Amino acid sequence: MTEAAVRLLSLLNQLDHATRRVIIDFEHNEDVLGYLNRIGFFEVLSPNVSVLPKRPTAAKVRHYRGRNPNLVEIQRIDRNHRDGDLPKRLTEAIGHACENRPDVVELEGAAWTILAELIDNVFAHSQTQLDGFAALQVYPNGNCLKVAVSDSGLGLLKTLRPALQNQAPKLAALRDIELLVEVFKQGLSRHGADRGCGLKGCADKAIKFGAELDVRLPQERVLLVSGNAGYTPNRAFCYSGLPLIWGTHLCFTFKLD
Amino acid sequence: MNQIPAVDLRLREFMDANEGWGREAGRLTFQRLMSFVEQHPGALVFRVSLAGVRRVDISFASETIVQLARRYRGGKGFCFVDLIDIDQRENFEAAAQRAKQPLLLWNRQGKPEVLGVEPSQGIADALKFALIKPKARAAEYANSSENVSLTNASTKFKQLWEQGFLLRCEAAAPSGGVEYVYFSAK
Repeated sequence: MTEAAVRLLSLLNQLDHATRRVIIDFEHNEDVLGYLNRIGFFEVLSPNVSVLPKRPTAAKVRHYRGRNPNLVEIQRIDRNHRDGDLPKRLTEAIGHACENRPDVVELEGAAWTILAELIDNVFAHSQTQLDGFAALQVYPNGNCLKVAVSDSGLGLLKTLRPALQNQAPKLAALRDIELLVEVFKQGLSRHGADRGCGLKGCADKAIKFGAELDVRLPQERVLLVSGNAGYTPNRAFCYSGLPLIWGTHLCFTFKLD
Repeated sequence: MNQIPAVDLRLREFMDANEGWGREAGRLTFQRLMSFVEQHPGALVFRVSLAGVRRVDISFASETIVQLARRYRGGKGFCFVDLIDIDQRENFEAAAQRAKQPLLLWNRQGKPEVLGVEPSQGIADALKFALIKPKARAAEYANSSENVSLTNASTKFKQLWEQGFLLRCEAAAPSGGVEYVYFSAK
């Protein structure tokens, strides 16, 4: 749900940015409205988007914000006002949620690196004026936590492919799903062979802790499940031809124990 | 030169916070580090301490110590003296690997470990030889093994120097000429 909320938020803000008139109707879904309000959705939704039956006020959210250790409400990733504590806050929530894991200290270290790299990528690569977002939620009954980082840029592969045409034509010829796996396996970057270690490092750490990685690109979604050989194309579930949402939307799922 | 001139470098003193996050912060820190290195023109070895550094991500590691070691490769060496945090170690290793820049780490037992790049099979033995000595000459290595000629030993040491595993300086040879003395960042 967390990643869906963050993706929906990015989509609505993108449509608004493209001067579309956007109305989101919760007339028969008040529960969803309540949940989205609780996680701070409407605080960062463009004010131009109309919400039915009524846009919630921010007072309730502000009152509860930060009080539930199982939730880190949607955080704005604003390149003009870098929030230096964001990876730390998310990591602390992960540490709290996974305190029963014997490897919680190592997990916290790995989670901080993953979040630091992903959020830094939003600042550095997303090439958009729109804010990115991050959120985290613990699902005790599902024995997992999800941490989602989302931006409204061109998308990971869209910026990578043109550079690969010159740097590595063989890689450029790969299908999207295969190329995406290589991004996390080898560490590919449009800035050349010296770069790209961030995403690879994230994937290596996520694999070490058995995390699943869900990547939504503008028209595709790939779910990577780690096996003995890490993330591989034959353990990836791919959905293509999806409705257009610009950006790179990543979600890691960790087990709680 | 009897003593290799070495300087302690506490990374935390060049950072704005105890967490090193992101490329931009890394580049800023790198500028400060470089200025520090330039203030010590005589120093050949910089002993990097991570005391007070809580975390570093891979991008930050890549833009700071790894970039510094790469920039001064062959002229100055950088080694870690207290890199014990697993996550920080993994991140420096990942960054060094990507930059193909070896970095030495001295563990608690005073034993060296190489991060980032494994020496090729042909030069691994020469590196092992050099790492256990304060200084090593090609002639000493050639004498230590029946299968290694003096020329061969010189070539291996030169490769290790070019690839960033070792440093070197000129010294008077026993024969009266000049030869290279190789040493590690320690």
